[in-house]
Amino acid sequence: MIIIKDVSKQYGSFSVLNNINLEFINGVYGLLAPNGAGKTTLIKMLATLISPSKGEILYCGENILDMDEGYRTLLGYLPQQFGYYKNYSPKQYLLYLAALKGIGKKEAVNIITELLDKVALSDVMNKKMKKFSGGMIQRVGIAQALLNDPKILILDEPTAGLDPKERARFRHLLSELARDRLVIISTHIVSDIESIANEVIMIKNQQILYKDSVEKICASLEGQVYEASIRYEQLDEFRTRYVVLSEKQERGNMRVRFIHKEKPETEWQPVTPHLEDVFLYEYRDEIEVEV
Amino acid sequence: MQILLHEIKKIFSWKILLLLLFVNGILSFLLIEFDIKYFPNGRPALDSYRIGVEMIEKYGTHMDEDDFADFKKTYEVQLEEANHYLQTRKEFVDAGMGTYEDFRNYDRNNKEQDVLYDKVMFKEPVDMLWELEERSRLIENYKSKEISLEHYMKDANAKQKLRFNELIEAGHYPVYPEVAFANFKSFIYHVAITIIFSVVLVLLPIFIQDRSRRLLDLQYTAKKGRNLYKTKVAAGLISTFIVITTLLITYFGFYSLNHTSMFFSVPIHMFGGDFYWYDPTFFQYIVLTVVAIYILGFVFALLAMSFSSIMSNTIALIGIQIPFVIIMIKYGVFYMMRHIISIWVPKWVVPTSYSVMLVVSVVFIVLLWKREKKRDIVL
Repeated sequence: MIIIKDVSKQYGSFSVLNNINLEFINGVYGLLAPNGAGKTTLIKMLATLISPSKGEILYCGENILDMDEGYRTLLGYLPQQFGYYKNYSPKQYLLYLAALKGIGKKEAVNIITELLDKVALSDVMNKKMKKFSGGMIQRVGIAQALLNDPKILILDEPTAGLDPKERARFRHLLSELARDRLVIISTHIVSDIESIANEVIMIKNQQILYKDSVEKICASLEGQVYEASIRYEQLDEFRTRYVVLSEKQERGNMRVRFIHKEKPETEWQPVTPHLEDVFLYEYRDEIEVEV
Repeated sequence: MQILLHEIKKIFSWKILLLLLFVNGILSFLLIEFDIKYFPNGRPALDSYRIGVEMIEKYGTHMDEDDFADFKKTYEVQLEEANHYLQTRKEFVDAGMGTYEDFRNYDRNNKEQDVLYDKVMFKEPVDMLWELEERSRLIENYKSKEISLEHYMKDANAKQKLRFNELIEAGHYPVYPEVAFANFKSFIYHVAITIIFSVVLVLLPIFIQDRSRRLLDLQYTAKKGRNLYKTKVAAGLISTFIVITTLLITYFGFYSLNHTSMFFSVPIHMFGGDFYWYDPTFFQYIVLTVVAIYILGFVFALLAMSFSSIMSNTIALIGIQIPFVIIMIKYGVFYMMRHIISIWVPKWVVPTSYSVMLVVSVVFIVLLWKREKKRDIVL
């Protein structure tokens, strides 16, 4: 469906993405990387907002930039941050965006009613958006991305600002939508995609690190993830010797989850690797810098 | 069409409309009101206006020798009336001002004469005496019309001399009072300034507003895509037309209070005060200035949209745009409106200035559209 072919993006001498090759068919794809890894650049290139410095992005064999509005008609896009008119109601705002998407007013009114119901905003559809919470605004954003019933749905950090209940509803909505379309979700929150993504793409050092199912990515750490209880005083030394993934207090001791590639000690408990383990392991340097 | 209407609605937000009302209130108070409220501005302007109206009613749009003879006759009749009036006022006879000639040549240092002069000219005042002064001035103008033109020709360049000769050959001398035409030139210049400010004010936010609100991501990924830029430009130009037309209707509505329509059919070379490259009637001159205002309005609209498209924030935009508009008005619009066909500005300068401004503003916006088509929308 979509092929990213030898795509690079540079701003002057600064390289954001280097020689990226990807292929997408229907289903949910999770683009997972820490902030600053180039997720948004890749997403914006898929949304035609940024042009590649090198390479091309093809939809059914045709360059998406050449397809122009033919491609954008198929596209639903939720940016990481998006603008709105504070004095507009969700209905007015969506009517404006529907017009930009080439949807007639009559048809748009029906679609908007249905979508606002889906994102649980029916009761505030005529209220001014300036009074909305971050989560409500984000739900309006999700609704606008679905206005044209897109074949390609691109969501950049879609769950930002959503509470756990809203996240769960959103994941359910995405699974439903992904049956007959391509959904690409960019996120740094592992739980957003772990349960719903058919494939996860991880970017590191401007290149693709993984593009595989959650199971296969997790298998890369099979037999290397352990949990152990240690004394609080041992924690500093433990951290220097192993790649610690998580720590929590447990009955006066510390319960640590960590990676070790050699022979384990007997009191360590081997555990099944999760996607978050891979994420924390692969991006340990970037995460430490961020901390 | 739906998007175009929406963009126009966005331009005319209630905040902008209020600001427009406020700015027009201020500028019409500072600039335009004077040309309406104080027309004709005191004396002898009032008498000049009245005599001008009488001349048009009696002689039409041109004045020949017979008309002039009639005008002189009217003056002489009025002179007799003035003499009679002064003779009947004992204090004037006693003070040595028993005839109009004595009255006119009164001694300012003679306190008695000065007080009496002041009384009939300013305190009472007697219209006939003011009118006589104005009629006398117009008669002198008429008599010395050839000498006057020759005087101007002395400092003229070759092209200006050619034009003066054309006027002389055609017998086109400025013999009618200029008060109405001079008032219109001042009025329309101030209207042009007000309209330019209004257009710029309305269009300043057109691109920067959506960009700073981060709406481009959604707008440019919709089917309409970056073509929205062109729709916004179209919406801006339509809004400019609406603003210019509304303000012109409003201000010409005020101007109608000056009651100058009887002068409209008179060729402008008949009015004193200036000489022109062409011979339009007053009405044709009004049409010319209205067309000029539309052109200037569209030029400033395109430039305002261009600035709105490239500036990074509103403060920077205002900081660039306001001085630019003031400088353009001071050094450009002044000549392009007040001296639009004046003989004292080379014939080619004004049309070339309009053409250059129009071409530059169109080229500017086209280049910005080309940039927008390919620009990375990073933020």
